[in-house]
Amino acid sequence: MISLQNVSKTYSVRGDSSVLAVRNLTMQVEKGEFVIITGRSGSGKTTLLSLVAGLTWPTSGQVLLDGIEVWRLADKEQSLLRNKKIGFVFQFPSLLPTLTSVENVLLPTMFGDKVKGDRSRDRAVMLLEQVGLNDKLRSYPRQLSGGQQQRVVIARALMNEPQLLLADEPTSDLDELTEHEIMALFRNIHALTGVTVLLVTHSNDLAGYGTRLIRMAGGAITDLDD
Amino acid sequence: MHVIRLAIRNAAGNSFRSWMVFFCAALMAGFVISATLVIRGADDSLRLALERLGADIIVIPEGHERRLESALLMGIPVHCWMPDIIVDEVAALPGVVAVSPQIYLSTLRGAICCSLPELFLIAYDPATDFTIRPWLELNLDAGLALGETVGGSFVYVPAGEDKLLVYGYELDLKANLEPTGTGLDQSLFFTLETAYDIARLSDEYAVKVMDIPPRTVSSVLVKVGRDADVHQVAQLIEAEIPGVTPLETNKLFKDQREQILSLLHSVVALLVITWLLAMALIAVVFSLAVNERRRQMGVMRALGARRGTVLQSVLIEAWLLALSGGLAGIGVSTLAISLFQRAIIAVMNVPFLFPPPLRLAGLSFGALAMALSGVTLAVLVPAVRISLQDPAMSMRE
Amino acid sequence: MKVAAVAIVALAILIAIIPIFSDCESQGRTLTLENGRQVSMKCHWTARAELALGVPLLAVGGLLAFSRRKETRRNLGIMGAVLGAVVILMPTALIGVCVNPDMPCVGIMKPALILLGVLMVAINLAVVVRSLGQEDEAA
Repeated sequence: MISLQNVSKTYSVRGDSSVLAVRNLTMQVEKGEFVIITGRSGSGKTTLLSLVAGLTWPTSGQVLLDGIEVWRLADKEQSLLRNKKIGFVFQFPSLLPTLTSVENVLLPTMFGDKVKGDRSRDRAVMLLEQVGLNDKLRSYPRQLSGGQQQRVVIARALMNEPQLLLADEPTSDLDELTEHEIMALFRNIHALTGVTVLLVTHSNDLAGYGTRLIRMAGGAITDLDD
Repeated sequence: MHVIRLAIRNAAGNSFRSWMVFFCAALMAGFVISATLVIRGADDSLRLALERLGADIIVIPEGHERRLESALLMGIPVHCWMPDIIVDEVAALPGVVAVSPQIYLSTLRGAICCSLPELFLIAYDPATDFTIRPWLELNLDAGLALGETVGGSFVYVPAGEDKLLVYGYELDLKANLEPTGTGLDQSLFFTLETAYDIARLSDEYAVKVMDIPPRTVSSVLVKVGRDADVHQVAQLIEAEIPGVTPLETNKLFKDQREQILSLLHSVVALLVITWLLAMALIAVVFSLAVNERRRQMGVMRALGARRGTVLQSVLIEAWLLALSGGLAGIGVSTLAISLFQRAIIAVMNVPFLFPPPLRLAGLSFGALAMALSGVTLAVLVPAVRISLQDPAMSMRE
Repeated sequence: MKVAAVAIVALAILIAIIPIFSDCESQGRTLTLENGRQVSMKCHWTARAELALGVPLLAVGGLLAFSRRKETRRNLGIMGAVLGAVVILMPTALIGVCVNPDMPCVGIMKPALILLGVLMVAINLAVVVRSLGQEDEAA
């Protein structure tokens, strides 16, 4: 499903200096896998996810998603592809503060070409019930705990029934108990829907939740563990 | 969920920032509509006053030109006299098709024999008149009889009385004329016969005698033939009849027109400065807003929002604020100007007429459209910049 | 809500103060009776009544700035709107101003009070509408 061939990514920082975030990376991810990518801060994990989703372009090499170079598509096709195929769970609080839980979950339907309406709303409510937030449908993000917010984000990521779930340090701001609850949720979703999951974390303790582990350091893969 | 709803929530989310944009838009639209209303109102008022005068030339005694203008425009009474033989002399000149004399008087100030102080009184000759009767008959079926009068829109019979007292003489106020925004609104019209009757009885009824020198008039209104040139006739009057000044009505109110023009210039200058400042402020506020929401925009892009959608969400938010602010500004300014009409006339020393509803709607629409374009221009740069940003970069700190 | 509270306080002050300086008596015009006694005209009493309205409106604005419960804000908004309407009614219907259109109370005071009253009603209605769809503010 995902194929990276000799991919490098360099960011230019304030003019002259540049940072090599991903270095000559090659990897494959098959459909239905639950891949955990670990590594210290600055090891290039987040950049890797951005490259896979076509949110940024590779400085060299080739990134394919289902055989398509996403970042080469026109804005319209690229956006539609992300909207239909990819679900995102971010490291930072990514809920829109002015929208309720249900409205946040409905957000991806706003950008797609599917018919919207009651069915979307029913699905949003169902997803929020699945992540255990049936009593927080009308709550605003500021009225939710960190763990609850991340559950809403997961529900939002599943809204358009994606084939690929990209999660960037989804548990970094959470306490240990909540961290394991969220990871269990990912495992359940993967088991139930068969969605391909690419989850980035700096915590080695969470490696057991996936079906495969990749370790990164200095923008390159150091260890592949099937 | 729709982009408009998202924009509404975003606008409501940060009330301080939204209020800033709202006030700027209100200021922009309010200023435009106020300036337009005052300047157009002054212009319309002058035009209407000239139409009411109806004559091509007004002949008055030499040296009273300015005072006649302030009488017609601001209602400050003028007293001037010339021999009534001039009426016939003017009528005999080539190019003149109609002449009619008028007498200008005024009520006394602070005297109990006059209901209203310093009212400009215009007495006309119903036998020859061609200027007043046409619009008098719009309000009255017949002309005015002895002891009857018609007043401008500001003339009223004091509470508890049923007649208007002028030099102790009881006048029957038959009607009030539509407002013109000029001195005509504070004028009283009656026939020469009534004027002479008031003067005759003032010795007995009033604290002071109303003096009309025998065989005199205050002015002669002249109508020029279709094939004659007004300017040439005026020159002829000046050359043939000594001691009088012919005023061409289309050249009247020159000072006032210049005043309106200079008002227009300073208003435009002030308008440009205000608009530039308001637009700069909106641009800064939106740059901050967009910067603060960089991550949010990045998230939206990651969830499948197109560049255009991100741009749309920012623009719609700005438009909503501009629309509500603009409407509020227009509403408050229009209300204020309609309420303070009298004060505007007094302070700015220009006549003023509030426009009819349809014209007002048109002007408001124009002002709103201008405010919307101004706000769009101000937010375009930050909005386009954020929509073009690499989403992965937007989401990084 | 803070912006609305500040606006209400500012308007309340103007409602209380403007009539004091724009009624006919303040401009040196009083009614002289035949016996020589000078009496105040209508507009003077309207000015007094507006001063009396300005004080509770000031309180509405002040209380609104510190109220966190939406019910309180709604009730304050209703009270402000009603008082705002009375601000308009004083010079137009309840007491009135002088008859002569040349008097300062007709040219300045009455229009100013109508304008301030309309703004007061509008802002308070906005407060009521907003308080309906809002949750209580966090302390």
